[in-house]
Amino acid sequence: MAERIAIDPVTRIEGHLRLEAKVENGRVTEAWASSTMFRGLEIIMKGRDPREAWLMAQRI
Amino acid sequence: MRSVEDALGIRIPDNARILRNLIAGIQYVQDHVIHFYHLHALDWVDVTGALQADPAATARLAQSISDWPNSSPEYFQAVKDKLAAFVKSGQLGPFANGYWGHPAYKLPPEANLMAVAHYLEALDWQRDVIRVHAILGSKNPHPQTYLVGGMAITLDPDSETAINADKLALIRKLFVTAKQFVDQVYIPDLLAVASFYKEWAGYGEGLGNFLAYGEFPDAVGTLLFPSGVILNRDLSTLHPLDHQKIGEYVTHSWYKYGAGDQAAKHPWDGETQPNYTGPKPPYEFLETDGKYSWLKAPRYDDKAMEVGPLARVLVAYAAGRPEVKTLVDAVLAKLGVGPEALFSTLGRTAARGIETAVIAAKLVPWLDELANRIADGDLKVHNGDKWDPATWPKEARGWGFHEAPRGALGHWVQIVGGKIANYQCVVPSTWNASPRDAKGQPGAYEAALVGTPVTDPEQPIEILRTIHSFDPCMACAVHLVDARGREVTRIRLDGRM
Repeated sequence: MAERIAIDPVTRIEGHLRLEAKVENGRVTEAWASSTMFRGLEIIMKGRDPREAWLMAQRI
Repeated sequence: MRSVEDALGIRIPDNARILRNLIAGIQYVQDHVIHFYHLHALDWVDVTGALQADPAATARLAQSISDWPNSSPEYFQAVKDKLAAFVKSGQLGPFANGYWGHPAYKLPPEANLMAVAHYLEALDWQRDVIRVHAILGSKNPHPQTYLVGGMAITLDPDSETAINADKLALIRKLFVTAKQFVDQVYIPDLLAVASFYKEWAGYGEGLGNFLAYGEFPDAVGTLLFPSGVILNRDLSTLHPLDHQKIGEYVTHSWYKYGAGDQAAKHPWDGETQPNYTGPKPPYEFLETDGKYSWLKAPRYDDKAMEVGPLARVLVAYAAGRPEVKTLVDAVLAKLGVGPEALFSTLGRTAARGIETAVIAAKLVPWLDELANRIADGDLKVHNGDKWDPATWPKEARGWGFHEAPRGALGHWVQIVGGKIANYQCVVPSTWNASPRDAKGQPGAYEAALVGTPVTDPEQPIEILRTIHSFDPCMACAVHLVDARGREVTRIRLDGRM
């Protein structure tokens, strides 16, 4: 019998991880990984001085 | 930083190269040990099982695998008493709500007690050795002394406040402390624990495609861990890395591209346009036939890739690098398994230990190289030729690579008129935790979980073993919920950067 399970959130410093898995006869048969948080640093960087890019990107 | 240096054609001084290696090197060693003991070990070590251990037998076990001095019966008795008092208090702290007593735990009580003792020792050790970041980077995490063109660290043997002989001596002492723990505690424990879980060399295999950008350049630019691509587990062919072959899909990601969501885009032309189409929380399950993640799906030559310690070790192994090959062969021989065992949950965890040992052995030689250069009077840490934006071309683009502890990290920048016109980061987790792409190809986590046994869906410790083997850098808590959204259990883990 197939059963779907979810593991959420698997928190990380740069976001959240969610896992969903289909379990059939005691084994995972299919899995999905999802980040449930938007980062958006790329948008913040636009228009800024390239010399300070590392300071912001380092926070990812 | 490297992406901007690449765009502007800046070459950093040798001292800056070494300083960057030292900061990144000790970070790897600290990070991997923390991962092993504080984030991953409890998937294999039953903490409560340690209470049944005989301290004298634990001492014999510890002495049989290492000459680490903390190995007397009295020492392990004290750890056991401490643990017993902790459990009796009813407040388990970092050990609360584990799957203690789960049948998937296979270690004898003495191995559990030894691992718990080293869990506690590693907490003190990691705090000590990362002081190198305070000295060279002003703080940890996020060292502050980087600078486009080099480093903002003053080297001066005659200054009280600069990196002088005293500071170099302290760094050297911390590097020696770091290496001793890796060689005498981490690696022996890793091998001891792995010997009880050899069946995990058959689970968690995943994609079989590996990508490494490479890291730790020497004076002539040769990387300690080389770059390269391995396809279909074929270690006999190492493909050269070409970053132009990287493209990101958003077919199953909550973004939209101007030209449609079916084609991949190279990060130089990348777009970040959010487009959330998922269910409104709280929800039971995601609509995984459509978009289901905030991560894009990076692909190399249209193939999903695994990045991280296993990728780096396999690429170095395939490139025939002696430092890595010797250690890999020794570990395989010790466990009595063949190279195919590397493609697994256990292989990923072993590869992390192997690269830690390789890097820990390089820290003092790198420091010697820096000390010799300082002694020869070379104090240069920064190349300021292109600091002034007036010296820049009207338009420029570059890519910067780094191997973070968790894997290949790439930044792509476009500079127009002295400002960032576009910046795209493809971080290790984007590769490993990637959702499916336009063709429906799964990412590394998704592929690695297929086939993983789950004895009890309410306590899926096996899933955590495989996911933790990738080091997803869990911050403080993992919540497990069942199909009705009810929380079935929660595992609290220790904080980390």
